[in-house]
Amino acid sequence: MASTILPLELVDRCIGSPIWVLMKNEREFTGTLMGFDDYVNMVLKDVKEYEVTPEGITETELGQTLLNGNNIAMLIPGGKGPKA
Amino acid sequence: MSSASPQPEEAAAAAGSPSEFLKNIVGKRVKVRIGSGVDYHGLLTCLDGYMNVALEETEEWANGRKTAEYGDCFLRGNNVLYISALEDL
Repeated sequence: MASTILPLELVDRCIGSPIWVLMKNEREFTGTLMGFDDYVNMVLKDVKEYEVTPEGITETELGQTLLNGNNIAMLIPGGKGPKA
Repeated sequence: MSSASPQPEEAAAAAGSPSEFLKNIVGKRVKVRIGSGVDYHGLLTCLDGYMNVALEETEEWANGRKTAEYGDCFLRGNNVLYISALEDL
């Protein structure tokens, strides 16, 4: 059995790498993780915002962004986003 | 950044972190998106740990169109989805 790893430790290992963030609603972000805090508010750079609708996926590019942790549901280290 | 991390939160609370970001972004032009998807582009005057935000020379954008302009604008932090830099930090 692998040694246990804490969730926040996993996120911390992801700093400097690409990450895929899924919100509670139909919205997703990809970008490079710069850092985060105890509330899992996240600082990302080279960000793409995806709005997922029945009609398709809207993509927006953003610079350095502070993402409010309130609506974050899931983090995928190294994830490429909904269009990959 | 601290080395060996028995407390990974400490390592995260260094350079790239939210508090650092907030220090660096005051005075810059930002886009603040709120939960409804409406955007506010403006000069970031100040903000706090609750993500309450004060902007100057603000444009309100909804559905890809400018819907309003405000000289001064205060956004309550609980509504903020993200704060994004429109210029290089």
